[in-house]
Formats: sequence, structure tokens, C-alpha cells
Amino acid sequence: MFVEIAPPTLAEAAAATAAEATATRRRSVRGISRLLGRGVVPYLYLAPALGLLVVWIYRPLVETAQYSFYSWNLSPTTPAIPVGWHNFHRVFTLPEVGDSVLRTVLMIGLLLPFTIVIPIVVGLLSREVRGRARTVYQALIFAPFLVAPVASAAVWEWILTPGSGVLNRATGLKINWLHERVPALLSITGIVGWQMLGFAVLVVAAGLASINGDYAEAASVDGASRWQATRWLTLPLLSPTLVFLLLTTVLLAGTWTFPLIDTLTQGGPVSATTNIYYLLWNYGFKSFDAGLAAAAGVVFFAAFTGVAMVLVWLSDRLAFHDN
Amino acid sequence: MRRPFTRRSLSMVAIAAATAVSVLAGCGSPGGDATQASSTPAAKVPELGKDQKVSIVFESYNFGQAGAWTNTFNDLIGKFEKAYPNIHVTPQKPKGSSPNPAADTISSLQSQIAAGSSPDVAQVGFSDLDFTIHSLGAQNLDALFGKDAVQKNFDGAKYPYAPTARTLADWDGKTYGVPFVFSTPVLYYNASLFTKAGLDPAKPPTTWAEAETAAKAIVEKTGDKGLYLDCLTKIAKDWCFQSLVRSNGGRVISKDRTQLTYSQAPAVQVVTDAQRYVKEGLTPVLGQKQAYESFARGEIGMFLETSAIQATFQKGAKGANWDLRAARMPSYGDKPAIATNSGASLFVLSKDPAKQRAGWDLIKFLTSEQAYTEISSKIGYLPLRTGLVDDPAGLQGWAKENPLIVPNIAQLDKMEPWISIPGNNYLQIRDGMMDAVERSVYQGADPQSTLTAAEKQGAALMPKA
Repeated sequence: MFVEIAPPTLAEAAAATAAEATATRRRSVRGISRLLGRGVVPYLYLAPALGLLVVWIYRPLVETAQYSFYSWNLSPTTPAIPVGWHNFHRVFTLPEVGDSVLRTVLMIGLLLPFTIVIPIVVGLLSREVRGRARTVYQALIFAPFLVAPVASAAVWEWILTPGSGVLNRATGLKINWLHERVPALLSITGIVGWQMLGFAVLVVAAGLASINGDYAEAASVDGASRWQATRWLTLPLLSPTLVFLLLTTVLLAGTWTFPLIDTLTQGGPVSATTNIYYLLWNYGFKSFDAGLAAAAGVVFFAAFTGVAMVLVWLSDRLAFHDN
Repeated sequence: MRRPFTRRSLSMVAIAAATAVSVLAGCGSPGGDATQASSTPAAKVPELGKDQKVSIVFESYNFGQAGAWTNTFNDLIGKFEKAYPNIHVTPQKPKGSSPNPAADTISSLQSQIAAGSSPDVAQVGFSDLDFTIHSLGAQNLDALFGKDAVQKNFDGAKYPYAPTARTLADWDGKTYGVPFVFSTPVLYYNASLFTKAGLDPAKPPTTWAEAETAAKAIVEKTGDKGLYLDCLTKIAKDWCFQSLVRSNGGRVISKDRTQLTYSQAPAVQVVTDAQRYVKEGLTPVLGQKQAYESFARGEIGMFLETSAIQATFQKGAKGANWDLRAARMPSYGDKPAIATNSGASLFVLSKDPAKQRAGWDLIKFLTSEQAYTEISSKIGYLPLRTGLVDDPAGLQGWAKENPLIVPNIAQLDKMEPWISIPGNNYLQIRDGMMDAVERSVYQGADPQSTLTAAEKQGAALMPKA
């Protein structure tokens, strides 16, 4: 049997589809907003930090790259003249740039004993000290790190003064520490090393504390001497910490040395303490050669990125998971 | 644990990149607007109205030097505000951390101008003249206040400026700055050491050859050091080196300021001589500040220096009980010694007519007879209105008590200006030159080849004609 059903009119059909569509749309809008909400909210939380990162780090970076193709003296009344790759050509041909790179490497090399070798020795030895004495001991070593660089520079200037300075009087030397080429370089790195030692010791102490004592115990049960346990267990387990210290020294040597160079020697005598960071600052903010400073900045940004990548890769390879 | 995050972190990177691009799009092309610099008003700036209150900022490195410098200048500003009750002056020192606040002058002005607010009146060194006029936008005083008014200020109420001092801050015949404080190179000497070494302290050396002989006598007989020229290091800048080279018949830069000429024979000779003083142990290897402290303690026989340091020497001489005297700068053989000036001028940087007028009032006050009387007697700077030293009401009494000023005033007659190096890279060029000089004199580098190499580098930085 056939039951006749009136065919739906066009209007009805349209209404039905419309209603259906609205429903689906409402559903999908709700869905999308829920989805979006779920996806967007975390980013909204991140936005302030990201925004600041972009404004203070990435934007200046891009601007620096831009400036490197111009000749400009940073004056708002002087137009910047595009000069193509000329600034980069200067970076690679100026002898003072090459010299200061060499001095930077030298400074980093001279800092490494202070940020790696001495901290290991101090860290291992201070393990022997127990209780309160240990805290006092560590605090004493950490103290220089808390002294403002400019203040310590003033004190060191007195210590190093030729004639009446404590150092020359104590040692009987007649060295004009801050005004002879090699002594000036040694003084700057020595002072920075003295200051950073506390920080490095603290990092090494933290690294040592995180090493499970069971290893050493197990080794001594197996008859390993103290030295053997240190050499074959503690040091390898400490290696990620040491790579971290190496990385910090290489990347932050410039930041650490800068205030001391600026207050004690201003890069002299005859550029003997001008490292690449001080040279860059000199180009940019003393001679107002914004283009050259930017070009050098870009080159060294790239170079240090490369160095950092190698070191991070190294630290990943050395990383291990205790427990 | 890492993988699930990959997609999300990717999208995060995308969002970050998008934001970055949108922010960075605002960067545009770098550089300033040249039209800003050229918009000098043609009309003269009107006088201030009776009730018109104006407040201006005055930047000077004198406010960065504690003691006589800051005290004297604060006192002068106080007197100015009393005389001009409608004008309020905010004094400030250059921003920066250099041991010598004068070294921060340009970078401080530059950064303030870049930030959109420059001081209204500034004290800027002669070495920066070209840059101050062409890049920092120092105002043309002739155009703002009329050539007559500017010249009238130089003529003064009673005592005019020394003729050689008037035009030091002029450019192409127009006055941009009013020379304010400066010195010529003066040979200060320790008369006590002279006597000890068997030399006649009444007859200071007049040539460098004589100075070298005297220095040798001092080193041999007293064990102290012979002489120090504060002209041969980067931190000393080039004013006094220019003077030495001029005295030896050369120049560090050609007369038309288009070519560096400091690798030519006269300059090389100056550097070679100075290097010999170091090699023979006559000149101690000391930094600038160490050297003048050492001289103040009485450990060096002769010292070529600006009178700005005179107060330090006097204090040291009094403390260590030795006799400080001054002589004219020695000459090279029978060539005439040519003194150049150190120091600074006052410039109007403001673009606002009322502040420009107030700034000009301040400049007029600070360069008046009254102000110079105070500045010279309290700090020791050269009174540019030289007539003051003969005026009983002015500096006559002071000058009588301070014979140290005599050679400085005598050298004013034939003084030549400290020439500023042109272009945006002038500081790099100047520092490169002085670095080469220091390297040769104090570190034993070969003068000719070191100066030639530095000059070649400097030449590449000179503005293209």
C-alpha cells in the first residue's frame, strides 16, 4: 500500500536545511571556539613573554642585520647610506678585528682554569669539609661574585698601582700592571676569574651533590681507591656540569670582562685589553659607526651560535640519566 | 616524552614568527631624517618677554668633576638665575662612566638626541667641532642672534677675547659656538728637581734638545724621571700632538682637511724623538692619570700638559713640598713652537626659539668678565678675555700670585686651532692615529711603518670628496 505523503514544499525544505545548517554551524562554531579556546589559551599565557622576547631580542637582532648594510652615525639628523657588503668587507679586513678576536680567545683560555680547573679542585676538597665549616667555606669563595664589578675594579686598581700598590710591595715586582701589555691582559682575566670563581664553584658543588653516593660506595666495595673513584666515576658523572661551565665561559666571557675593561684600562694600553666585545661597543657607541658595529655584531652572533651549537651537542652526548 | 610536543612547538614557532614579522614590519629602513638638520630658521630669535618663564638644560663635563669644577659652576649658575629670574637652568653632566667625564660628551649628546631630547646648551670639545655642527645640529649663532650681537659678546663690556680665541668655533665664517675654556700646552717643571740635578731652575729648556739634556741630568743625578709629554696616548687625544707636529713644521691633516699627513717626516720625527725619551729611560711608561699623579708627587722633572690639570699639580707640589713652575712649550731647534688649544666651546642645540634665547643669555653670562674672573681664579683655566689679568678689579692680584699662567697667556698670540677631523668616522680616525703614536712611543713599535699603516686605515674612513 502506498501512503501518500505530500511532497515537502520548497519552502519547507529550505527551512529544514537552514535549520539544520544553523544547528551544525552553531555546533561547529562552538566546537571551533572550544578547540580554539583549548589551543589559544596557552599561547595567551605565553604572549607577554613572547612579546617581550620579540620586542627586546628579535626585533633588535633583525634591526642589527639591517644596519649592517648601511653607513650611519646613529644621529637622527643624518640619513643612513646603503653601502651593500662594504661593512662586512671591513670586518674581515681590519687588522684590529682579527687582533681582538685573538685576544678574546686568549681571555677565554685564561679564564678556563678559574671556571673549570680550580672549581673542580675546590669542589672535591670542600666535600671533605663537614657541617657549618663547609657553608662558611663556600660562602667565602662565593663572596667575590656578589661584589659589583665596578666596585671590585676600584679596589683592584689600588692593589695593582705601581709603587704603592699592595701586589708590587708584597712581591717586590716593579710591574705597572694595568699599563703594560701582557700584565694588563693578565690582570683583567685574573680579576674576572677571581670574581667568577665563586659562581663556578657553586655550580660544581651542585653538580657533585647531584651525583648519587651509591656509585662511590659500590666502587669502594669493589676495592677502588679514592682517586680511582674520583677519576673514573665522579669526573665522568660531572662532565655535563663542566660542559655547561665551558659554554658559559665561552659565551659570557665578554659580558664578564666588559665592565672591568671599561673601568680599568679602556681597552688599552694600545688595545692590549680590547676584546671583540669592547671593540664592537667602541665602534658602535664611541665612534658611532653603527654599520660596522652591526656587521661585526652579525658576524660574531653567527660565530658564537656555531660555537654554542657544538657545545650543546657535546653536552647532549655527554648527558646521562642518573636513576 | 618529546615527540607529542613537536607539533605544538612548531605551531608556536609559527605564531612567534608571525608576531615577529608583524612587529618587525614596523622597523622600516634605518637612519635619520636629513631634512631635520637643514631646517634652520631664517628669522632672528626674539628677546624673551618680561613674564616669559623658560627652563633650559645645560650639559657640561665640568659638572662631572668634583671639587673646584662643580662648585664654581654651580655658583655661576646660581648667580645667573639671580640675574635672569625668568630663566631656570638645570645643569647636568654627560651620561657615561668614563674616568674623564669630558670623554663622554659626544656619546651622551648623541644618545639624548637619538632619544629626542637634547640639552639646550652644551659644552663640546674643539676636536668635535665638525661633528657638532654637521651631525649634532649645533645652531648658527649669527643667524639666531645676529652677527653684531655675537661679535659684541666677543668684544665684551671691557675686555675683548684674545684674537686667536674668537674664531675657534667658527665654520665657513659663521659662528656656531663661543670658545669657553681651553689651554695651550705648558711645560710645567719641578724646580726643586732642577736644583738637585745641578740645573738652573730660572732657565727652563727652550728647545726639545735642551729638554732632553736636562732630563738626562735629572735621571742621572736624582734617580727620578726626566720628562713626560701628555700628548702621545689615545686618552690624551690629539690636541697637543697636533701642536708638536706643527712646531716641527708639519701637520697631522692637510690644511684643507682632506688628507691625513701624519706619516710624513715632521710627525714621524716627533714620534721617534719621544720614543727615544722612553728608550733612554727619561720618560716613564705610565698611563695618563698615573703620570700626572707621579709628577704631582714630585717624581718627574718636566711635564707638558694643559692648565686644566694645574690645580692637581699645585696641590701635589704643596703636599710633597716642591717648587712648581711653568714655561713655554719648547721648540724643535730654531723652528717656532706653535701652540694649539685644548678645551671646549659652548653651543646652542635647542630648536625652540625661547630656549635658544635663554641659552644665549646663559652663554653670554658664562663668558662675561665676571664669570671668567671666577673661573680662572678658582679653576685655573685661561681667561680668554686676556685684559682681565691687568685689571686690579679683575685678575691682576690673582695673576701676580700665579705666575704659572704667564706662559699660557704668552702662547695665545701665535696659537693655532686644534683642528677637528672631518666626517662621521672622525673619532675612529683620531683614535687610530693616537693609537699608532702610543704604540710607537711607549711600546717600541717602528714609528714610520706604524704611522703609515694607521694613516692608510684612517684615509679609508675620511669622507669622500
